[in-house]
Amino acid sequence: MTSQDNGTPSWGARADHRVLNKDTRRLSGPEKVKGEAIYSIDRHVPDMLYGKLVCIPVAKAEFTVDVDPAMEIEGVVIAIPLREGSTLYNGQAVAAVAAETPELAEDGARAVVVNYTPQGFVVTAESAKAPGAPQVSSRSPNHAPRGGSNDKGRGDMDATMEALDASDFVVEAEFDVAIQHHACLETHGLLADFKGGDEATIYASTQVAFGIPGSAAGPLGLDRQNVRCVVEHMGGGFGAKFSMDVAGRAACLMAAEVGRPVSMFNDRRQEFETSGNRSGSIQRIKAGVAKDGEILAMHSDMDKLGGVGRGPGAVQPYIYNVLESFTLDYALHTNTDSSRAMRAPGHPQVSFAMESVVDMLAYGIGADLVEIRKRNLSDPAYHRQLDRVAQEIGWNEHQHRTAPGKGDGWIAEGIGFGVSTWGGGGGPGAAAEVRIERDGGVTSSIGVQDLGTGVRTLVAMIPAEEFGLQASDVLPRIGDTQLPNGVGSGGSVTTASVAPCLKDASHKTRLAFAEHLASVLKCEAKDVTFADGKVFAKSAPDRGLTWKDACATLPAEGLARTGKWIGDLQTSGAHGAQAARVQVDLMTGAVKVLKMVAVQDSGLVLNPLTWRSQVNGAMIQSIGLALYEGRVMEPDLGIQINANLGDYKLPGCMEIPELVAIVDDEDTRQAVIGVGEPPAIPGAGAIANAIHNACGARITSLPITPDKVLEALAKLS
Amino acid sequence: MRLLELEINGDRLHVAAPPHWTLLEVLRYELGLTGTKQGCDKGDCGACTVLVDGKPQLSCLMLGSAAQGHAITTIEGLLPAHRAQGGAGADPVQDAFDRCGALQCGFCQPGMMLSAKALLSENPTPTSTDIKHALSGNLCRCTGYTQILEAALLAATKTEEVL
Repeated sequence: MTSQDNGTPSWGARADHRVLNKDTRRLSGPEKVKGEAIYSIDRHVPDMLYGKLVCIPVAKAEFTVDVDPAMEIEGVVIAIPLREGSTLYNGQAVAAVAAETPELAEDGARAVVVNYTPQGFVVTAESAKAPGAPQVSSRSPNHAPRGGSNDKGRGDMDATMEALDASDFVVEAEFDVAIQHHACLETHGLLADFKGGDEATIYASTQVAFGIPGSAAGPLGLDRQNVRCVVEHMGGGFGAKFSMDVAGRAACLMAAEVGRPVSMFNDRRQEFETSGNRSGSIQRIKAGVAKDGEILAMHSDMDKLGGVGRGPGAVQPYIYNVLESFTLDYALHTNTDSSRAMRAPGHPQVSFAMESVVDMLAYGIGADLVEIRKRNLSDPAYHRQLDRVAQEIGWNEHQHRTAPGKGDGWIAEGIGFGVSTWGGGGGPGAAAEVRIERDGGVTSSIGVQDLGTGVRTLVAMIPAEEFGLQASDVLPRIGDTQLPNGVGSGGSVTTASVAPCLKDASHKTRLAFAEHLASVLKCEAKDVTFADGKVFAKSAPDRGLTWKDACATLPAEGLARTGKWIGDLQTSGAHGAQAARVQVDLMTGAVKVLKMVAVQDSGLVLNPLTWRSQVNGAMIQSIGLALYEGRVMEPDLGIQINANLGDYKLPGCMEIPELVAIVDDEDTRQAVIGVGEPPAIPGAGAIANAIHNACGARITSLPITPDKVLEALAKLS
Repeated sequence: MRLLELEINGDRLHVAAPPHWTLLEVLRYELGLTGTKQGCDKGDCGACTVLVDGKPQLSCLMLGSAAQGHAITTIEGLLPAHRAQGGAGADPVQDAFDRCGALQCGFCQPGMMLSAKALLSENPTPTSTDIKHALSGNLCRCTGYTQILEAALLAATKTEEVL
């Protein structure tokens, strides 16, 4: 096997793999199924206090805060103001309390007196753009180019208008995407374990363990190197948990003040109101196509709804080749919390509009929905992936291939498609250590956190492959800043950043072990072979040692090597195609997704089991974006009226279609690529297109709720 | 404070807790049984599901005092209960969820498994639709449920073998 090569580390031929690229059970499985996995929110240490934030209940305010009344409650240990002056959105924290029990902390938070004067605000896109609307903040107009005031748009507007005029068929539409929430089941927060002295440990629910010490050191009044962060298990992130957040900062401030540990986690309302959303968007698009299917022109005017933030950068035209295009990219601010990164920030929104436009153009010229996509996509990966999803979803047998259903009858079925792109490459900065003990134990260490994606398991799989062992023979150590450097888990960079380090450390450790064993096996080091739990000279596979006996020859301190990032072991450039088959109830407007298929390339897939889990989860989140999820703001009160998991509808078991996640096995790149983001992109567009394909109702507003379907059907008739 | 007498995972326990505390609060903050997860505190997410006399119950919607006189099973109690009934190895539901990779972050999983356990106790040969109904009160944000359904079906097979 190539992993036995003694030169530069490489992943080796897939056919030779014994552990990698094979379904491998999660090593965290046993403790999770027994309820023994300790998440940061579960962590309890002696003398610990519980923290609670005091949040402003209006969209914009001038305020003063008096924390003293909270201190009159027995059991409340500390109450502190967090800011003064003004707030910009509902739910913004202004003070914090820590007490002996969670409910005493709540009592304390209620006792804090916040005197506020509401200011004029806007929380919806319509009100933000209305003439004379209150300004969201003094930093920027409500509606401003994302690239700054000199940003006059991308592309050649005159050429685009000419190309639109020259088009054989032109469509024009406005696409609205509601704000989606991350809805991690473990809310944001941390336990600041500080008991005085000059050291602290932070147990955080974070995507960036190594970012926490730097953030916590200031509020704790400690040196950064004396602050440790531990993330043993984590209840989801999806992009929302990149900072310590106000809850974490407040916990550190209060722990420092009283010299006792403080645990502070958001409640569910805070989680919705202030701790994570995917920006909404409004995209006004005009596009034209030639009779032969070439997309000639696209004029896009985009408003990103990132609250007090600017929203993400993704713009039109998305992925497809468009001969001439012109794009205006604006932030439309509202008095709501800033959007955050969420699986492929910005991409699902633009994908939904672009895929819708492609279908609208196709129907206009009577083109096949798969063929028009291939006509306007250069990369051959998309061509084979579209053909594969079309085959899996039953496109060739489908009746509405060049024209949608007419919306007659009761139940209609339709099919839709979408494609995605993402980088998925890693970067330098991480390091790993692989250690072999004299008793045969193997430890693989890297400080990176596992959000649930399966990093812990691949930390063991990589050395296991190298040493001819099983993943369960290796102890993975992760989620701790006292271990070698990890990376932040975002943008699908984790695997491509940490796997090369683990491979390098494993490779070096094996070479050193082979050097040591050469004299024992009476052969040259290059001929020492590790396979199937044994170590032997290449020329004498029948003799040799068991792994354990070989390790027993090591000195007492065992053998360890560290590895660093090697760019050649990873790459970037992920492509994917998805298809959705839906059923529309024409009487009620209800949509049921029957089947979704994803074909996704991502280089060498290290663990197909966790890979499928990622892709399936991404498709489900797309179903949520397409059909169910959306923040609802009350325009007059300025508050969110569905800031809970009952009124904010997440897809549940009853909404799950048949999901098929297929590795694009024609991608033979011998390098790893992350897969967190790309499969989260095309699903919403594919579902919207499938609804139209079924019944002719083109709904350009997400989520596609039954009322919108019925309204669109009514317009048809 | 009120002294509660509770039967948790086969053990009879005396716990002092405020009378208005939910069973979830008693489990997590008095007994340290943190396998029962706190996701929403209002009965929306299902992460806090426990078994009360074998039936699934959202522990955030039940007062600790109301749990007196009932047999409470939390995720930590599944394996001991399985062994106490003469079972060998892992509990079939736990084993199936592990084998199928029916978890990602795993935060929803204790509730999912207890809902599945309750279903299989009543209906050892459920259809996929039966399983979807039984788990429809448990939210998951990561895995897409597919492997969870596979696990519940696999557990049904194993449970049937045991029976």
